[in-house]
Amino acid sequence: MITGHYKTRYTADEGIWSTWPKQAGLVAALVALAVLPLIANNYVLLLAGQIAIFIIAVVGLNVLVGYTGLMSLGHGAFFAIGAYTTVAVHHEFPNTFPLITLLISIAVAAAFGVLFGLPSLRVKGLYLAVATLSANFIVLFLIRQEWLAEWTGGVSGTETPNAVLFGYELRSQRAQYYFIVPIMLIMLLFAQNLFRTRFGRALIAIRDKDYSAEILGISLYSHKLKSFAISAAYCGAAGCLWAYFFPAILPEDFGLNMSITLVVCLVAGGMGRTLGPVFGTVLILLVPEILKIVFANVTDGDANAQMLFSPMRDIAFGVLIIGFLIFEPMGLVSIWDRFWRFVDRWPFSK
Amino acid sequence: MGQFVQYLINGVISGGILALIALGIVSVFKATKVVNFAHGHLILFGAYFYFTFAVMLPEAAFMPDWVRSWEPEWLVAYRADAPSFSPKAAIASWISDVPRILLGLAGALAANALLALLIERLVMRPLLGQSTFAMILSTVGLIWVLEGSAGLIWTAEAEQVPSLGPNFPIRFELFGANLFLFSGSLFNLLIALALFAALMLVLRYTRSGVAIRATAEDQSTAYAMGINVPRVFSSAWLIASTTGAVAGAILATRTGLSPAIGLFGLSVLAVVLMGGLDSFAGVLLASMLIGVLQAMTQWKLGGEYAEIVPYVAVLIVILIRPHGFLGQEEIERI
Amino acid sequence: MLSVTHASLAFGGIRALDDVSFTAETGHITAIIGPNGAGKTSLFNIISGFYQPQSGSIHFDGTDITGMRADKRAAMGMARTFQNIALFRGMTVLDNIKLGGHTRLRSGFWSSGFYYGAARREEAALRADIERDVIDFLELDHIRKAPVAALPYGLQKRVELARALAMRPKVLLLDEPVAGMNREETEDMARFILDIQDRWETTILLVEHDMGMVMDISNKVIVLNFGRKIADGTPDVVQRQPDVIEAYLGTSEDREVTV
Repeated sequence: MITGHYKTRYTADEGIWSTWPKQAGLVAALVALAVLPLIANNYVLLLAGQIAIFIIAVVGLNVLVGYTGLMSLGHGAFFAIGAYTTVAVHHEFPNTFPLITLLISIAVAAAFGVLFGLPSLRVKGLYLAVATLSANFIVLFLIRQEWLAEWTGGVSGTETPNAVLFGYELRSQRAQYYFIVPIMLIMLLFAQNLFRTRFGRALIAIRDKDYSAEILGISLYSHKLKSFAISAAYCGAAGCLWAYFFPAILPEDFGLNMSITLVVCLVAGGMGRTLGPVFGTVLILLVPEILKIVFANVTDGDANAQMLFSPMRDIAFGVLIIGFLIFEPMGLVSIWDRFWRFVDRWPFSK
Repeated sequence: MGQFVQYLINGVISGGILALIALGIVSVFKATKVVNFAHGHLILFGAYFYFTFAVMLPEAAFMPDWVRSWEPEWLVAYRADAPSFSPKAAIASWISDVPRILLGLAGALAANALLALLIERLVMRPLLGQSTFAMILSTVGLIWVLEGSAGLIWTAEAEQVPSLGPNFPIRFELFGANLFLFSGSLFNLLIALALFAALMLVLRYTRSGVAIRATAEDQSTAYAMGINVPRVFSSAWLIASTTGAVAGAILATRTGLSPAIGLFGLSVLAVVLMGGLDSFAGVLLASMLIGVLQAMTQWKLGGEYAEIVPYVAVLIVILIRPHGFLGQEEIERI
Repeated sequence: MLSVTHASLAFGGIRALDDVSFTAETGHITAIIGPNGAGKTSLFNIISGFYQPQSGSIHFDGTDITGMRADKRAAMGMARTFQNIALFRGMTVLDNIKLGGHTRLRSGFWSSGFYYGAARREEAALRADIERDVIDFLELDHIRKAPVAALPYGLQKRVELARALAMRPKVLLLDEPVAGMNREETEDMARFILDIQDRWETTILLVEHDMGMVMDISNKVIVLNFGRKIADGTPDVVQRQPDVIEAYLGTSEDREVTV
């Protein structure tokens, strides 16, 4: 029997931070995020920025895969579209305000999302997985083309601009961090709100039983396409921030490997849950770093052994994804749920 | 016109190999309803195993000389008067390679079969009854495990592997143009088509073939009828891994040993969806079509464009015929 | 309120519906009965828009809806339940019922995402509305936060009815609402159906095998056999008709019929 938390109004019952331990946890998390740059070194901040950007993309993937139940193995393409849009905007208008660029990247990615989403009106599951994977290959192929090279840099990639906010150029990892993390938090909150209101509920309904959703007046066509658009928009935003964050990009950065990494983050964290992408991304992006440290210690920096690092990382990823599917199919979030149930029932929990 | 026929021939040859790879994906799908995204990497292992047993092992110190290079007296005599680069010389050098080719094939088949059984047992079996999504993702996870493992085991530089058949250029004239192909490619095509046909016959006329088809129709009913469904699953993976080993050996002789073989498997997945996941005939058709289309694209636009042909084609086909050329549409009952 | 005119539907060679016509009067309960395979669910499927009849037309609330998509029909005020419960199994009872309110809400994407203004007010109003009119009414308050998959069959059927009711439908299509229920659950369901008719004057269309219930609560009964309509009238009239009796006794099925 769950104890405590009695509410007297429906609005209180609809809230997200409904209990005081949760509110305390939220405040603690925000404070930790705010002070991290003051105590962390550049290596940690580089990693943190990368994780924050990836979280945005995985939240986007979650909209499509986790909530709408449509499979995609091609979200790296939207990431690429966001990043290259940013480069192209700055190529044409060097002094564009970063948030404007962000919005343009989001809009362009969303438009491509609708285009990619067209097959979803005819097919589901596996067919859609292959269709999106194909679309990913095609987008990268186009980016490599000579006739787009003025904006994309073609096969050899391109340097990317830095964000300039009110005359202040965001060069250091620390400055970038304070630019990226608030955007991530807003986008996370937006997704959370989306799925406790009408529109998001409709997407979940389509995932669970599409014909039943239709009978409730939910148009499958428009909702599937909108889901693709939102999902792509998140990845486009991530791509834009990626372009600002790193000094250069290559078409290969956004290939199948990235698309699958996004899916792995989602599965590890937990699909169809707001915090799933957060946990999953943190875990998956930390694994190679931990491996790297362990490896360096074990091998004492032996160059021959270093060659084995990349295959080892691949195997670790593969084993993680299969392990999660077999042993914890709901992802890390289900561990998190167990923790909060424990807190809620304390001191009667065991 | 001559050029066209030349590229048509090239296309049919690569179409045959596509079909051989597709065969493995379709058999596993038919029996287990799992679409194996990692089939390309199973083939990659087949290629590396073939390399291990046909090149690395024969060169080991403990192996007798005749495995490395078989030179009976009659062969020496036969070779003696053959000019270099003649068909006769090519056949002679192939005969001296036969022991290690056979060793390579036997080793690749056995090792790949073992690998597939392991995968079926350790990864696919525990996920039985899970969603399509989990199935897809677990094979995607396999991609990484297999690719990483291959990187750990075979660090050697890509080397030449012996061609399965005697390899000499064939020149002939058609429509007034000089055409050209390698006998080795022709041999590969014949192997691919023979395997394809043999499997179709097995599925149609043998007891275990009927068991596989019954399981494909309805797993639980098949179970109730006394069919050993887990064994059907294992045999489907065996079919996929062994045909994959042959495909791997062929690809290794054609394009050399490289991790790119794994990626090639993904483009075959696109071909399979075009043909229709559960239709051998549809898949054969799609393979030939894509093979030829790729060859034509290579001719007119260049190799870079040829690479994305399967992906563009599958998108178009899915939009027009969601279940491929000959695939069966699943009807949802309300 | 709802009328089907000369509707025919065939799957390949099988004629599921053959020239079926009938009218459901506003505020009445119309029952469709017939042996298994008579075409009852097919009839529901063409009314709600999953299948298109090859010929004939369907009128709803004065509009020809024959070619209309299912979600548009729902938006016009048509709700239905399914023979094999089609709830969203991963969600709670409350979320399932809230989905019934989808067509009644207007809030857009942006205000939803920021949970601000219209979206916030609407969600609160919807919640209050559902609590009052649906959850209290169908006596579901003790399970509103329970995941649907964990509920017993009879309750799941009731949640499905609740979800349909949250749409405030003009026409309610119930596909075997009491199939597989025991006597007590059946009586509860019959009472709910009568209450719905009474309280909102909803037009109700019912497919059911439980003859006792059908004859008790219906204003009109339509009998289908092999896709054809063989009888149409009040319960009293229909159960005396010889071909109806024949259709039921003539089936190979071992069902007890109280005609």
